[in-house]
Amino acid sequence: MTERKGPLMSPGIARLLVILALVLLWEIGARYYADPLFLCPPSQAVGALQHIFADPKIVNAIRVTIYEVVVAFLMSVAVGMSVGLAVGLHGFTKQSILPVILLLYATPQATILPLFVLSFGIGPAAKIAFGVSHGIFPVIVTTVAGVQNLRQPLLTAARSMGANRLQVFNAIIFPHMIPSFFTGMRLGMTSVLLGVLLAELYVSTAGIGFYTRLFAESFSPPDLFALIAVLAAIAVTLNELCRTAERRFSRWHAS
Amino acid sequence: MKPQTRIAQRFVQLGVLVAILVAWYWATLPGHVNQLLLPAPLPVFRNFWILFTTSSIWPDLFVTVREWITAFLIASISGCTLGYVISRSAYAVRVFDPLLAGLYSIPAILLFPLYLLFFGLGPGSKIAIGTTIAFFPIVLNTIAGLAYVDKAYITAAKSMGANDFQMFWNVMMPAAFPVVLTGLRLGCIVAFLSILGGETISSLAGLGHRIVSLAENMESAQMFGNILFAVAMAFIINGVVSFAEARGRRGMQ
Amino acid sequence: MNTEVKTRSAGVSGAETVIRIEGVSQAFGAAGDPRRVVALESASLDITRGELLCLIGPSGCGKSTLLNIVGGLASPTTGRVVIDGQPVRGPSPQKVAFVFQENTLFPWRTVIDNVKLGMAFQGVDKGEREGRAHESLKAVGLAEFAHHYPAQLSGGMKQRAQLARALGLQTEILLMDEPFAALDEQTRMVLGEDLSVLLARTGKTIIFVTHSLVEAVFLADRVAVLTARPGKIKKIINVEEGHPRKSNFMTSPKLGALRNELYALLHDEIRKTMTQRGEGGEHA
Repeated sequence: MTERKGPLMSPGIARLLVILALVLLWEIGARYYADPLFLCPPSQAVGALQHIFADPKIVNAIRVTIYEVVVAFLMSVAVGMSVGLAVGLHGFTKQSILPVILLLYATPQATILPLFVLSFGIGPAAKIAFGVSHGIFPVIVTTVAGVQNLRQPLLTAARSMGANRLQVFNAIIFPHMIPSFFTGMRLGMTSVLLGVLLAELYVSTAGIGFYTRLFAESFSPPDLFALIAVLAAIAVTLNELCRTAERRFSRWHAS
Repeated sequence: MKPQTRIAQRFVQLGVLVAILVAWYWATLPGHVNQLLLPAPLPVFRNFWILFTTSSIWPDLFVTVREWITAFLIASISGCTLGYVISRSAYAVRVFDPLLAGLYSIPAILLFPLYLLFFGLGPGSKIAIGTTIAFFPIVLNTIAGLAYVDKAYITAAKSMGANDFQMFWNVMMPAAFPVVLTGLRLGCIVAFLSILGGETISSLAGLGHRIVSLAENMESAQMFGNILFAVAMAFIINGVVSFAEARGRRGMQ
Repeated sequence: MNTEVKTRSAGVSGAETVIRIEGVSQAFGAAGDPRRVVALESASLDITRGELLCLIGPSGCGKSTLLNIVGGLASPTTGRVVIDGQPVRGPSPQKVAFVFQENTLFPWRTVIDNVKLGMAFQGVDKGEREGRAHESLKAVGLAEFAHHYPAQLSGGMKQRAQLARALGLQTEILLMDEPFAALDEQTRMVLGEDLSVLLARTGKTIIFVTHSLVEAVFLADRVAVLTARPGKIKKIINVEEGHPRKSNFMTSPKLGALRNELYALLHDEIRKTMTQRGEGGEHA
């Protein structure tokens, strides 16, 4: 198909224009037509950013949230990979244990969130634990999938040349696992974010959840918008980091 | 695989289940884990059973189900419509598809406090979050299904003189159907899960709310019973919806 | 299959021209663009009513492009195609039916529904469709499979079904783009024989694109050989043999000689294509 050049602009620019148009619509609509108790124009939300960052308690809550996400993420990857390798490397364990893991993966974790808070309290521990609870599953599943794809002929060839277990691991298994490792990381990050944020919003007596409840109950949309925007930006940044890492380290992999 | 291996695997799975139950029972013997954190298995199962045999859970169940179905309907209709409109132009697909995919990567649960502000603590905020989260897989899959129909089918139909309507109804829709159906399945499940999440965070009624109240009142056995109920419900929904999708796909192929 | 056949007129003796290809060129990319690809260059050809013409040439020589242009699925950069006195401006479902190489049977419909759908697209009256569909399926030997789904058919049967769908349109002209390419050689041979019988009976005008030298000689009244890209018509070879072609034609010295002649013509073109492929890649 021939590329149509001409009156149509590049999709990237068109996208920017669409976003700008929507923001403009929001601004005008909120400024002139909306009840200021419920909706505020983006300009006010931006203004509120300053107010948010000026309050050290809010900044601290945000900082703690980031800390929770990072810790939960690292733990998810560590635990997830170990379990994934242990389960995936042996056909028997995979067939028997994996269904159990998948069953757990499919449970609606929102229902057990109150349990986590009852057990760990309202501090970071509960949120980290809940984040890990979300994050390990995609990591396990991608690790197992990564191991499965290992082609038997490669391993046989190596063994036939006299490689011992450790050499096989270093030279074949480990490099092969790298793409699925990074994919698992990306998916894990998304899940950890969901878990931590869910837990934070639930606990309305401390952390971010306290402020979201405060702003909602006191009908201050600018502050609420600003806070949510900050959290969204953090989430997007973390997701993008993982996605970029995945792209970079998977480039050598043909499939 | 050898039948012995299959049996052995089943044994292991059964063994895991039994081990969990035993550990649970042992942990709740007097002097071990706090009964408030982990109630004994028998009271939990008794409460679980009660939920099925009495109507105590029905009001909350209705609230949740009503929120879920409403959210799914709104998300499906808007998602399929928008997906259809966008898919009609390759340029529109190139502009909007990455935009929507990008939005999907923001944890939408963050919008929930906003919805609480707009709609209050009632069903409205739950329906809103359910719709928002379910919208994306539906619209993205509708675009993917309609915009990427195998060109061979379109060329063949064109060569036989199909007009626009015939092309859409007889070629594009059936070809896109399996993909769209998958999107609807994902949307349906994700709507239910996010509504449970919303109810847990803040609500006045519903399954999630019930669990939270029981937690706040330290009624552990009942809370666990209700959790089991909600989990069972999620599994059933998952099963039914996946079955429906598989049937729908087969009907088209 | 119906065995009543008429022997088609061999060659082009006195028959009228139904398709005129006049100076057709097809280029992708603007002039001066380094990535410009000229698929076809000034192809001109007259096709007589009732003849079966094969287009053969190396990969990327533009034979499929030419077929698409004749059928109105693509517009030439220069030149035009005239069918029955009318210039081709788009798909002409009343006059031209296609059979493609890939599977274009709609998997969500049964075989007979596929045939009927083709007629629906063309605009055939609802009442007529069932009867015509059955006829077409009988003609290709798929009558018992009318209510099967394409997924349940073998490759050869799928192509027969596609042919049935094209026959159901009752067009005068049939354009076939390497319809047997995805099939194994034995199936190809059988289908080729069946095709010859079928077409002798119906008297359609057919343009048949193929890679196979033997297939071209076996089926065609004339074979047009195209050069490597940019595709030009290098030479047209006459195969003077009546239709339906018998299976002993396949092993006859006459076919062998013609095949050798084709090979001699194509050999250099194929070599040229191989060196071409280093730059620019393929455009069929």
